[in-house]
Amino acid sequence: MRNRKTLATEIVLIVLAIAGVVAPFLLGYYYIDVLTMLFINIILVTSFHLITLTGNWSLAHVALMGAGAYSSALITGSLGWPFWLSLPLSAMAAAVIGLIMSYPLARTKGFAFFIASYAAGEAMVLCWTRFKVPFGGWTGLTNIPPPENIGGIDFSDPTPYYFLTGIVMAVSLWLMYRLGRSRIGATFHAIHSQESLAKSIGINVTRYKMLVFVVAAFFAGVAGVLLVHRMWAVEPNQFRWVPTLYLLVWAVFGGTRTFHGSILGVAALTLVGELLVPLAEWVPMIYGLILILTLLFFPEGLEGIPHRVQSLFRKRRTGGEAPEDLLMEGQD
Amino acid sequence: MEFVAQTILNALITSSFYALVAVGLTLVFGVMKIVNFAHGEFYMIGAYAVWVLFAVNGWPYAAAVVVGIVGVGLLGVVSETLIFRPLRGNLLSGFIASVGLMFILQVAVGRIWGVGKMKPVPAPYPGAVVSVGGVSVDVQRLIVFGGAVALVALLLVFLKRSRMGRAMRASSQDVEAAELQGISVNRAALVAMFLGSAMAGAAGTLMAPIMSVYPYMGGLVVWMAFVIVIVGGQGNIKGAIYAAVMFGFIQTIVTTMWDSTIASLLIAVFMLIFLAVRPQGLLGHAE
Amino acid sequence: MVILELQGLRKQFGELVAVDDVDMSIEEGEIRGLIGPNGSGKTTIFNCITGFLHPTGGKVIWKGEDITGKPPHVVAGKGLARTFQLTNLFRDMTALQNVVMACHLHTGVGLVGQYLMTRRTKQRDEEIEEKAITILETMGIGDVKDEIAGALPHGHQEALGVAMALATEPKILLLDEPVTGMNPSETKDMMERITRLRDSGVTILLVEHDMKAVMSTCEQITVMNFGKKICEGDPEGVCSHEEVIEAYLGRS
Repeated sequence: MRNRKTLATEIVLIVLAIAGVVAPFLLGYYYIDVLTMLFINIILVTSFHLITLTGNWSLAHVALMGAGAYSSALITGSLGWPFWLSLPLSAMAAAVIGLIMSYPLARTKGFAFFIASYAAGEAMVLCWTRFKVPFGGWTGLTNIPPPENIGGIDFSDPTPYYFLTGIVMAVSLWLMYRLGRSRIGATFHAIHSQESLAKSIGINVTRYKMLVFVVAAFFAGVAGVLLVHRMWAVEPNQFRWVPTLYLLVWAVFGGTRTFHGSILGVAALTLVGELLVPLAEWVPMIYGLILILTLLFFPEGLEGIPHRVQSLFRKRRTGGEAPEDLLMEGQD
Repeated sequence: MEFVAQTILNALITSSFYALVAVGLTLVFGVMKIVNFAHGEFYMIGAYAVWVLFAVNGWPYAAAVVVGIVGVGLLGVVSETLIFRPLRGNLLSGFIASVGLMFILQVAVGRIWGVGKMKPVPAPYPGAVVSVGGVSVDVQRLIVFGGAVALVALLLVFLKRSRMGRAMRASSQDVEAAELQGISVNRAALVAMFLGSAMAGAAGTLMAPIMSVYPYMGGLVVWMAFVIVIVGGQGNIKGAIYAAVMFGFIQTIVTTMWDSTIASLLIAVFMLIFLAVRPQGLLGHAE
Repeated sequence: MVILELQGLRKQFGELVAVDDVDMSIEEGEIRGLIGPNGSGKTTIFNCITGFLHPTGGKVIWKGEDITGKPPHVVAGKGLARTFQLTNLFRDMTALQNVVMACHLHTGVGLVGQYLMTRRTKQRDEEIEEKAITILETMGIGDVKDEIAGALPHGHQEALGVAMALATEPKILLLDEPVTGMNPSETKDMMERITRLRDSGVTILLVEHDMKAVMSTCEQITVMNFGKKICEGDPEGVCSHEEVIEAYLGRS
């Protein structure tokens, strides 16, 4: 059973990789762009998922993406440094801001974490809107340069940028996946499962919560950098409620028990989003409905579909457990 | 000297307004353990009720206010029944669902009455500015203050004296014990949701003539309310009131000296530092 | 040598005084029983010692060091391990994975090492796994090491809880009702294991309701009622103490 699963996973990955490489030569610029945005959002949602491993849902995540975006805008725009240097630096900047935020946030749980993360994220956005120097205020910053040429490849073109984003995404996903599968990832899971028990066996829960927040912030920053060098502009409204809503729907709709759940969610909903383009003003409401309906009737999300199909076919002898709720309540 | 008095008066009015909104949110959280992100939208709909009925259709202001308050309360009841009750076992799901509700309401209002420009609401008692000893305040702001204080006081009395109020307090402390005593948690939740949402709606009806209405007006208000609830102790109504006063004063003073964005920023930083030092809030319980 | 000392320990929840000026001294190598009717404050004392609750007053002294109010993970690092009344396990991991998680306190591999999976880390991981298996065998559950913890029968779950506490290499083990819900033969088995643990150098502080188990295993017993210590001494002395009899008779 295990080998079949691993083989299936490998086949899927190879197929996706091939499709990914071939796609830009078959699609027009508009769709290449859509896929590029999808890759950026995959990085964003997967890093968001990391935080949910410890049982917390952060509403500051989109703002941290903005931190990476604004950092890179300033580094490449005002300072004139190259993109290739700015990418790691800006991601680190987002990580540092994440570290500062995580200090109070890691000491809270559940409701308080949710609200405090919202307040922290919103505070950052307020900074950007209030201080025209250096953030450009309400209108943000423009004229941000695309990445510099390497060997004649022009990254202001959609196709090269698509590949750049794809590669960064693949590397980021691999790094985050490895984290989840490491001892550290198992510790996150333990913290989420029984926090008191974890503390009693010597796990410094606060430190681990801070760690996951900082790492997630780093990758959110990466996503932000890729975003800003695609749009060549940045403004505060990109990082407020609507993208946060999207993030929540992707994660909930896809499911957070597995690594790939939220990726499925963002891919499926990006597809839906393309179909909904003529109804653009209704989209937040539609997403709100999807969110609520998923939570009410379909809490496992997309990733739970194979599970549900399986239990239709076999009478499962479980250890007395029904399919668990998507969002497991933390201890205490 | 007058400047100080004027500032204090403004701060009191701001505090009362925030207390009204935050206490409603605290009540809902205390009894149902749900944080309702759509609380700001309930506020917004209360304001829209006044705009539609009073400004557009010429109803008397007081009538519009009553309809607004009751209407929003009922909206809260509907939300509780359809969304929050089924998710009651799972806190996080409830919060997230309320985010969805927030957007549903925003888009709904936007689609019905348009997004574009903010819609002004004329003052129901125009031109009357009360001046006492050099300190002036317009009538509507006095109404806000009076209304807020009255409603919060009414709620406190209700919670302390009435049977349902006591039931709600019991539910907020220990659901199982409350159920053992025969208290229907579902009913307590319905009442809490009605009252809490109605208070947000009330705040909206009172503020409508002062601010223009638009679909996203709930945003900054609810943000403040959340900060207050957190610092006040997450479910503790007295704590919320103290925190509302504290933040009302901070905001008024800082806005007078600089501007409101700086005020919000400072408040956010204050909240984060506060949480780092005392995660349970002013009057919350440790652990 | 006194290894753990409570000086005037006090814990209040608002009006309710759960622990009322309790003094207690535990010698190294003892098996100490802590008994009393439900609600007499025993678990609260545990929580105060291990940092899950902040005492309202008084001190907790461990090997001469004041550890009052230190957070649980720090207390665990100093050598105090505990179990929980309602067995607390990582339910969807295997028994082995549970114990391995508890072994990491003393592993010496930093976060970076854990992530990079270097050869040194792999070696440590193997050592840890061996150690975990040994501990499981000591508690008699070596054969279920690959079972999911949540699916284990109650007795095994209790044993697993103790195994996890042991994995932190404690100098004292605070056991909260380790034989609740066990049949007489399981109980005898667990109490024998506990005695053997003490013989291998771990001091034991035991909260339990099963009087037979307590009287037969513990050398010294402290009795609580309504948050106060009412009696302390060896099993015979405690049994015949007036207040103790009253506490138990009065409550039943």
